[in-house]
Amino acid sequence: MNRTAIATIVERDLTVVARSRAVSLPIVILPLIFFVALPLILVVAVSAVGDDLEDFGELLAIMPEPFRRELVGLDSTAQALVWGLEYLFATFFLLVPLMTSAVIAADSFAGEKERRTLEALVHTPTTDRDLYLGKLLAPWLAAMVVAVGGYVVYVLVVNLFGAPIVGRPIALTPRWLLVVLWLAPGVAALSVGALVHVSARVRGFQEAYQVGGLVVLPLVLLLVGQLTGVLYLDVWVVAALGAIVWALALGTIRLGYRSFRRERLLLQL
Amino acid sequence: MDLLSPTERAVSVEGLVRWFGGRPAVDGLSIEVARGETFGLLGHNGAGKTTTIRLLNGVLSRDAGLVSVLGMDPAIDGEPVRARTGVLTETPSLDERLTARENLAFFGRLYGVTGRRLHDRVRTLLDLFGLKDRADDRVAQFSRGMKQRLALARTLVHEPDMLFLDEPTAALDPVAAREVHELIEAFRREQRRTVILCTHNLVEAERLCDRVAIMRNGRAIAIGSPAELARSIRAPVTVEIEVRPEERERAAGILREGGFGESALSRTGVTFRVEGREAIPEGVAALARAGLAIYRVANTEPDLETVYFALYGAPSPAEGDGRETL
Repeated sequence: MNRTAIATIVERDLTVVARSRAVSLPIVILPLIFFVALPLILVVAVSAVGDDLEDFGELLAIMPEPFRRELVGLDSTAQALVWGLEYLFATFFLLVPLMTSAVIAADSFAGEKERRTLEALVHTPTTDRDLYLGKLLAPWLAAMVVAVGGYVVYVLVVNLFGAPIVGRPIALTPRWLLVVLWLAPGVAALSVGALVHVSARVRGFQEAYQVGGLVVLPLVLLLVGQLTGVLYLDVWVVAALGAIVWALALGTIRLGYRSFRRERLLLQL
Repeated sequence: MDLLSPTERAVSVEGLVRWFGGRPAVDGLSIEVARGETFGLLGHNGAGKTTTIRLLNGVLSRDAGLVSVLGMDPAIDGEPVRARTGVLTETPSLDERLTARENLAFFGRLYGVTGRRLHDRVRTLLDLFGLKDRADDRVAQFSRGMKQRLALARTLVHEPDMLFLDEPTAALDPVAAREVHELIEAFRREQRRTVILCTHNLVEAERLCDRVAIMRNGRAIAIGSPAELARSIRAPVTVEIEVRPEERERAAGILREGGFGESALSRTGVTFRVEGREAIPEGVAALARAGLAIYRVANTEPDLETVYFALYGAPSPAEGDGRETL
């Protein structure tokens, strides 16, 4: 493995992404929406409604028992904020590294084909493995920076505006740490594995992104499971989900790598 | 084959075949290229030139044939072969969001050039190719000619032993094309690298190549230096002989009577057209035997363009090793 070559590809791809508005704009806007705007809207909305949260009581009734125990002793405003900011947003949070990695990964090979920069790259002495790994690592690292940075911003926002209402820190729990440091990297790896695989096979960024949009579906199912009370994301569930996602991600990456041939890329040019 | 010894040989190809979708893109190609030689692959679009470069550089696999590039088989040693070659692709293949300096540095690192050496190489090449003042501008702001110069600089960033240049002046205006020609001529003259040049530009091939292979349907239908190829076809040769002005008509009569083709008076003597250069000494001897004073003999041989169209106009070559004997 040639680490210099891999690092060079990663550095170049991230520089190119940073200089492309079409790719970098969603990466900047998405975290602002999910980590700043939506939590603030929730805090303001819940605070404005105050104790008049009858419908929320009905929603709470279908939540799993362990979660309801977390809310004992809190008034309905605080309960709503904990439900939203600490529980529901843990899944919303995953959307950001997922979408970030998907946008960049879709651009990896497909974007190079569109920009007609791929041929010189495949004529370099970089091995197929290093080329593939470089293309995988760039979007994954970007997603991790956005995820960890976004988490820090999120913690600051919700604790600055939500914690005074709840009366305790928000999103500073082992569950959140597991989501950020274990589940989110796995989700990003799965998204990258799938999208780079697709990107190497289609002709353009839009096509890759549309096909790759399917990676959001499992997350939607997770959200529905959470909202309906079917799934309770405690530490063990997050850990187990993370393990499953990582296994799927590594399987997808392995499959993509094994079928990756620079010759196939060239024949699509 | 085996016209060159292994130490002289940079590329050896025998019976190379590559199929795409039920059709051969390269069909029994056999060529040898000497170290330090500039060898042209000349042919129409679709003749198999670009596929040949990709096969030689180990980025495509072959269906049949034997290939040796710098003593290695590119199908097995693709990475070591590519580490010693530089490729100018048909499009500049530069990242327009990066600057000229960043593009060169990126490719330099992929070719294993790092640190101080990379810094120096990038600076030298930017200077050499006249891009020093635009080094930190994004390539998107460059003209086509500048992009092509930068792409050429990229092929040299790791000081390769061999260059593949695929249509280096396609889509360039005449001024930019001339600049690129001068750069290629300079580095083939000064650095004596082996160069394989794909082109459909006959003037370019004649100007830059020591030898050319004229390709058709994935085969080399003729191989040789432009002069050898010109001599090999029986195209009319125009010969001008300078004699005393008062003996011009007599000279024309001698040539006409001797059956040397049509002759005409020129400002300084007489011209005649013959089918093949073998007739020239006979014509000159006939004039000398008649006691005419001959001051100068100049002939206009067919150029590569004439050869190219003579061969392309001919029926497809017979099956065999894919080459006509010249």
